[in-house]
Formats: sequence, C-alpha cells, structure tokens
Amino acid sequence: MSPTPFDHLTGLANKQTSRRRFIGSGAAVAAALAIGAPIAASCSSNDKSSTATATQSGPATGTLRVSNWPLYMADGFIAAFQKASGLTVNYKEDFNDPEQWFAKVKEPLARKQDIGADLAVMPTFLMARLHGLGWLNEINDSNVPNKKNLRPDLLAASADPGRKYSAPYMSGLVGLAYNSTATGRDITTIDDLWDPKFKGRVSLFSDVQDGLGMIMQSQGNSVEHPTTETVTKAIDLVREQKDKGQIRRFTGNDYASDLAAGNIAVAQAYSGDVVQLQADNPHLKFVVPDSGATTFVDNMVIPYTTQNQHAAEAWINYVYDRSNYAKLVAFVHGVPVLSDMTDELTKVDPKAANNPWINPPKNVLDKAKGWAPLTDEQAKQYSDAYAAVTGG
Amino acid sequence: MAGAAVSNRQRSKIAPYLMILPALMYLGIFFMVPLYSLARMSLSHSGGSVYLPTLEFKWDFGNYLSAFSRYQDEIIRSFFYATIATALSLLLAFPLAYVIAFKAGRYKNLILGLVILPFFVTFLIRTIAWRTILADDGWVVQALGSVGLLPSEGRLLSTSWAVIGGLTYNWIIFMILPLYVSLEKIDPLLIQASKDLYSTNRRSFTKVILPLSMPGVLAGSLLVFIPASGDFINADYLGSTRTTMIGNVIEKQFLVVKDYPAAAALSMVLMLTILTGVVLYTRALGTEDLL
Repeated sequence: MSPTPFDHLTGLANKQTSRRRFIGSGAAVAAALAIGAPIAASCSSNDKSSTATATQSGPATGTLRVSNWPLYMADGFIAAFQKASGLTVNYKEDFNDPEQWFAKVKEPLARKQDIGADLAVMPTFLMARLHGLGWLNEINDSNVPNKKNLRPDLLAASADPGRKYSAPYMSGLVGLAYNSTATGRDITTIDDLWDPKFKGRVSLFSDVQDGLGMIMQSQGNSVEHPTTETVTKAIDLVREQKDKGQIRRFTGNDYASDLAAGNIAVAQAYSGDVVQLQADNPHLKFVVPDSGATTFVDNMVIPYTTQNQHAAEAWINYVYDRSNYAKLVAFVHGVPVLSDMTDELTKVDPKAANNPWINPPKNVLDKAKGWAPLTDEQAKQYSDAYAAVTGG
Repeated sequence: MAGAAVSNRQRSKIAPYLMILPALMYLGIFFMVPLYSLARMSLSHSGGSVYLPTLEFKWDFGNYLSAFSRYQDEIIRSFFYATIATALSLLLAFPLAYVIAFKAGRYKNLILGLVILPFFVTFLIRTIAWRTILADDGWVVQALGSVGLLPSEGRLLSTSWAVIGGLTYNWIIFMILPLYVSLEKIDPLLIQASKDLYSTNRRSFTKVILPLSMPGVLAGSLLVFIPASGDFINADYLGSTRTTMIGNVIEKQFLVVKDYPAAAALSMVLMLTILTGVVLYTRALGTEDLL
C-alpha cells in the first residue's frame, strides 16, 4: 500500500504528542526552578527512559502508546484495560504494510529516537529483523504471569525460543478466499487461480511469505526449507500470470473491499478477514488449497525506544488472560495464540468456538505450515525479486 | 549630509536583495538542498548491512542506466497517460472556462464555486469514491456494457481508462482556473472589433480568443501534466498490475525495496524528462508570459 494522507495526519498527530511532551518537560524545568528539584523529579518520572521503568516493580502508570493493524481490536477492549489498569492508552491503527512501517521507523530507531509507540504488533519476519538489529527490549516475564497460557508450539518457535522479545498476539491461516457468486463453483487448488474464466479477477499478496508460500507448496516445494531456486520458480509463475493479465492487483490487507464488492473473484486471503466479511456476505468462502497453506503469527514487541516498558508488559499480561483474549478473538476472528481457548470462547461467542477457521481441526492445521526463519540476506533477496514482479 | 545621501543610495540598492532574501532562503533550504541530496544519492552506491545500508558517493551513473532500462515501460506509460489526461483536461476545461468568462453573467461566481467545491474533499477520498462508481458490478459498467462501450477487458476499474480518467478528474481544476483567468482578461471590445471586420465566429475564435488564451493553455497544461506524470495514487487505486506508473515504482523503491540510489535516479530521470518536455513545449507555443 501506498503512503496516504492518513499517514500524514498520523505524522501530524505524532508531532503534537511530542510537542506536548516538550511543553510538559519545559513545565517540569520551570517547576524545578520554582519549587525545588526533588518534587519536579518525582513529577517527571514518567518521562524517564525505558531502562528506568524496565526494572520498576509496582503497578504501571502513565500512558501506553500502541501501534496495531487496522481492525485488529475488539470494541470496548481498550476501555476495559484502561479501567482495570488505570493506564491511558493511545491506540493507533497505523500499521498497514510491514515494509513501509519499517521504512518509516528505521532511521529514528537506528538513532534511538522515539517512534511514537511503546508497543507495536508485527509479523514474525519483521520482529526477527528488529531483534537482529538489537532494537527490541526484552519482556520481563515477572510482569507477565499470564504468559503461562501461551500455546507451547508458539513458546518454542524457532524465531524467538522462549519468547523473550516477542509476545504472539494473533495467529491465522493464509489461504484462498472466493466469492461463490462470481466463481460459480468451488475453489480447491492453486491452479484454480489461473483459470482463464477469472482473468483479471484474481489478487495475490505482495508480501513474499504470504504471497509465494502457497504457490511454492503447489509446486511441490516446502516453505520450511525455502531455497533461492524454489522461491524463484514461484516468482516465475506469478510473473507469467501477471503478464497474461490474470492478476488484477497485488495487495496488502486491502483485498477485502474488492472481494466483497465482487471486483475480485478469487484472492489470497487471511482466515480472520474472511470470517469477518462472511457476516455481511455469506457467498464469501475461505479455503486451504489442497497443496497446503501457510500460517502467520503477529507479535507484540516493545521497541527499545519505549517510554513505558512497564505499561507495555501490563498490556501483554492483560491480553494473555483467557477471558479477555476470548473477547479479542471473537471480534478479530483470528486463530488464538493461547492454549485451551474453547471454553472461554464458547462463553463469549459459541459460533466462533465452532468455526473451523478460528478453532481449526487437526487435519487443517496439518496442511498449514510456517516459513522457516530466513537470514537477512535471504529475506532481502526474495523480497527484492518479488517486488520486481509486484510493481517496483 | 553627503554621507547620509550615500547610505540612502546604498540602502536602496540592497533593498531588492533584502526583499527576495526570504524567498531565496526558502528555496535554498526546501528545494536546492533536497535536490542536491537527491542528485548525490542517485549517484551513490549502497553497501554495508542489509537493512541499514550505507550510501557511498561514487559518481555511479549505472543507477541511471539500470533505472531506465528496467523501468522504461513504466516511464513511457506515465508520460503517455499524463499526455492524454492533459489533452482531455484541455478539451473539457476550455468550453467550461469560456462559458464562465464570457457567458455566465451573474452566475460567474456560482459556477466557479461549483467547480472548486469537489476539491474541498481530499484527493484520496475522491479517488476511492471512483472505485465504487466504476466497480465491476456497478451501474456504470452495466450501462456501458448494455450499449457495447466497455473496453476489451470487459470492465472499467483496473484498466488504463480508469487511471487516465482519474488523472483527468483529479487535476482538471488546474486547467480550468488558469484558462478562466486568461480568457477573463480578454477585452470583449477586441472580439467586437473582429466582428466589425466581418469575421465569422469561428475566425474570431481562432484569430482572437485562442491566441490570447495561450498563456492559460500553457500554464494549465504544465500544471496538469507535471503532477499527473508523477502521480501514483490513481494508478494504485484505479489501476491494475499492468497500469503501473513511474510514481508507483519510485514509491516502492523508496518504501519497500529501500534501494535509495535506484529510487533517486528514477526521480531524477522523471524530473529531467519533464523539464525537457516543458522547455520544448513552451518553445513550440512561443509564449513569453511564463518563461
């Protein structure tokens, strides 16, 4: 996705916050001059850097700034957290495209300057990249007792064994979605994407892992052992179909409106999105292709420029409470990252508990694979090669 | 006394320079410095780590060659779309500006207001609205389809026509306003004089009105053509994988691939090509009002 005027507005809003903080610290200096340093120092303790707050053991105070994807939150969740914790949450849905987000924050992060977020939600590959660059704070487990509820497979994941630097937020399947009125038949395989009947009505993800994973699987290759050769083979197929005019758009999260409007007949899609869209349009179907699908995990991370580490940990702990998390899942419709969610989900939304795309049965999970962690060089090489096809 | 006279004279000599100083400083800081850094970046080589590359300046003209050879389709397409959009704007805007300037009478301000009104809504929202209007199952496509006027793809959205239409729609105001200003300046007595000399309406138009409106045509064409050729929003929202413009490539190179030298070289190519085109165009139209 492109930078939009909304980004610009967010930028302005961020500037206002920093200006407020500037005025706030100016006031603190004035206070120090007027009534003596000790009182002023206690007033401004919230402005202290992460190192000061990381070791703090009392309840978290102040403001927590969260950056998350759009439509990735339940109604009333933030208000309930604010009430329970006494914290103020400044919640921004300003995370749309991981690469664009990285392009925006990498300069300030490299200089260790505030990026306007104390906690951000991002896919695993980006989390691994930030961690590799040393830009993530370790999460203090003693402030997150609910971490015990995390799914064991996610706790042991090779991207971050023991989950020291990342806390999974939501998981899901990357598969195909189709509009049955537009296709007139069921879609079961990747080859269905290339049916001439759907010419110009197919959309693929521009992201390497989500876009190419299932295509590699359809070519008999695995995402658990990707090589330059297997990735290139998938890219070649996409290029061929693009040149034929089969592919209408390469998308991020923005395929949903085209699919719902009927402009797109078959799309690469995220399970949670489709479950949400089905509420308005029962003709939309989600399917794991016969040759397999991929999984994704979005993670909460604390950038090393956080202004309130303690509040970020309080947030993670709140999210990891099963009854709180059930509300989130019932709204976002992702695959839960906490174990044994069926009971709590049934209480909140029995339909969600029975939905195979939220509570997937074993045969579905067996067909869904996660990408192996890539080295920086691999990730960059694949991403550049695919970007050359997706329009740049 | 003599000293005071000299200092007065000196002051009046430096006064004009003092007056343009703020504008010069503004241009220097916000135009020349970024332009210099862009040019320097376009000749640099990126190396070092994968995600935090360092840029090393080494007169690397290879960036330009590879930018041009890899993306010539997008470059040509951008100028093609922008040219058609400019021509369409001119065709649509001229009669409108003419009516506002000569025929609208007391409704002049009302019509001008109506022309400007849509532009109070942001660019992005207006473009996204076109997605709904041109949707495959929408009434526009159905109506055009029933009279057999759909493009070969059988749809409107995600075609070249949608992108060109979007460009025309979004930038046409910059054609209407300069045209209106230059037509409005024409003394009606000149038109009357041509009539007195037994000129037909057509000859009055070609010999009096059109030549006198040339500054407006030129200004309007430049104001539409330049932003339209670098536009990426219309191709992004109204186009498909086969309508990518150079603006989309630059955006992707800067934000996704993060190959800054390639992106900078493409930006310079875009800028220099536009500049050359503009110089040739103004020469051809031979007006001195602008350059």
